[in-house]
Amino acid sequence: MTGLKLIDVSKVYGTGSSRFVALSQVNFEVEESQLVLVVGPSGSGKTTFLTIAGGLQTPSSGDVLINGQDITLLSQKEQTKMRLTTVGFVLQAYNLVPYLTVKEQFDLLEKVKTNNLSEKQFNSVLNILGIKELLFKYPDELSGGQKQRVAIARALFADPEYILADEPTASLDTGRTMQVMNLLKRLAHENQKTIIVVTHDLRLEKMADKVYQITDGKMKKV
Amino acid sequence: MFLAIKEIKHDKLRYGLIISLIFFVSYLVFVLTGLASGLSNLNKSALEPWHAERIILNKDAQGRLAQSFLPLRDLGKIGNRGAQIAQYSTIVKGKSGQKEENTQLLAVNKDEFIYKRLPLIAGDKFTAEKEALASAKFKTDGYKVGDYFTTANSKEQIKIVGFTKEASLNAAPVVYISFETLGKIDKDVTNGVVLNKKLDKNIKLSDSESYTLTQFINKLPGYSAQQLTFNFMIGFLFIIILIIISIFLYILTIQKLPNFGVMKAQGIPTRYLVLNTLTQTLIISVAGVGVAIVLSILTAVVLPTQVPISISLSSVCVAGTGIILMSLLGSLIPIQQIIRVDPVKMIGG
Ligand SMILES: Nc1ncnc2c1ncn2[C@@H]1O[C@H](COP(=O)(O)OP(=O)(O)OP(=O)(O)O)[C@@H](O)[C@H]1O
Ligand SMILES: [Mg+2]
Repeated sequence: MTGLKLIDVSKVYGTGSSRFVALSQVNFEVEESQLVLVVGPSGSGKTTFLTIAGGLQTPSSGDVLINGQDITLLSQKEQTKMRLTTVGFVLQAYNLVPYLTVKEQFDLLEKVKTNNLSEKQFNSVLNILGIKELLFKYPDELSGGQKQRVAIARALFADPEYILADEPTASLDTGRTMQVMNLLKRLAHENQKTIIVVTHDLRLEKMADKVYQITDGKMKKV
Repeated sequence: MFLAIKEIKHDKLRYGLIISLIFFVSYLVFVLTGLASGLSNLNKSALEPWHAERIILNKDAQGRLAQSFLPLRDLGKIGNRGAQIAQYSTIVKGKSGQKEENTQLLAVNKDEFIYKRLPLIAGDKFTAEKEALASAKFKTDGYKVGDYFTTANSKEQIKIVGFTKEASLNAAPVVYISFETLGKIDKDVTNGVVLNKKLDKNIKLSDSESYTLTQFINKLPGYSAQQLTFNFMIGFLFIIILIIISIFLYILTIQKLPNFGVMKAQGIPTRYLVLNTLTQTLIISVAGVGVAIVLSILTAVVLPTQVPISISLSSVCVAGTGIILMSLLGSLIPIQQIIRVDPVKMIGG
């Protein structure tokens, strides 16, 4: 059974007076070879949703199924392994390792994981993202948009079944944004990847197979 | 290994600082160990080649050879089971203008085991009256085989017929002579008897006491206090190393927690990150200790011979291994931080 499914997922941060419901009774489903967009304003719970969907944090209640397996039941170690092999994150803050060059960010993954993209596939990703010339630079020598594209390439490099991207086009101009979205769409349709893109950019809606709207922690299908 | 090396290369200054810190403290430890063993040699190196078990002294002498007179009664009971010895403190004055040496004259018998075990490095052992076998120290200070010396309070001219390996007792170089020669200089008495095996149980000594050589050494004037001071300082430095490394690595790790969080979010196993930190600690401590080893050995070569420092590769390696182990121990708290870090808290957004 493939696909990613959230059933009645809620997330509550804090307790007492600082108690905050970031997600409430979220139901969500995405199938193989789909590109799904989740749109919502800032603070609506997009990052919370994405990190729960990818097993980076656990929900307060509800189930998260990846390929039919409830990942909330996995141990820390199994969740880490799943992130390495099955789920690729593109995080909002890019999060590159500061003391590794762009190329070494990929080398690091190569050290701990096999079955990454072939050299040819990887080269074409680098070309589409336009970061081939940046391979020997350190993150602090890159612009925001360049870092973002490297972060996307890093998620793709491990060749995961699922790609969860948090505002992957926030720092990109319109041209680049369309290139990145087209790349993701192609990966979904031609390479059978399952892709969730979280964004506040409504212009991206037309690229998606399915769109969810999230407001104040409540999710609904559009 | 990959991350460890990349990071050190990228943050040369920061890691350079830690390495130099480890270097300085290790160097201090090595020099102190060298001084401790140098001073210890100065007190007792003469005893080493004897390979003796015990020493019998007058029971009122509190374990001190020079203060002890073995009564004839007990000497008779011991018979020829050990080697008689006398210690006489004096000043040696060379007849060819060499510098005066504060010296311990030790009288031993030619047919007993101490004499037989003395290692020669030049000339011969004494065979006749008014002949002497001197410590190598005299050779370094310009005395030669065939040279004559006199001692304080005596006009007897004594001839150096050979040199033995560096031998010193109570912080002064040793000159071996016969009891007859000692009789010419002063009184011919027996201060003690050194044994190379245990004394028969049925020999009951009336006015004497038998000490193990370790007991005897620990009762050498000032010896225990001195060694205790050094051991205390060295032990303290080990604790300091543990604390410094812990604090340094802790701060470094705290600064890097976001990176560790990100790598965990990517699915890099925690074990990989922990091993990496251990490798890094190993690299920096081995580097610091390595430089310190080289430099302390150079120091021992360069320092003037008056400084009683004895730095041997083996002792430095033992202390160095201790320091490296301390460093690894110091990385345990930071490693705990790495295991605990929650990727979600570190990724932002
Ligand atoms: N660790 C936390 N503790 C308490 N509240 C939190 C925590 N993380 C997020 N929140 C709150 O939960 C809500 C949703 O946060 P989330 O990061 O999911 O928003 P977002 O939709 O990603 O916003 P943005 O578009 O600005 O990135 C916010 O109001 C935020 O203040
Ligand atoms: Mg967010």
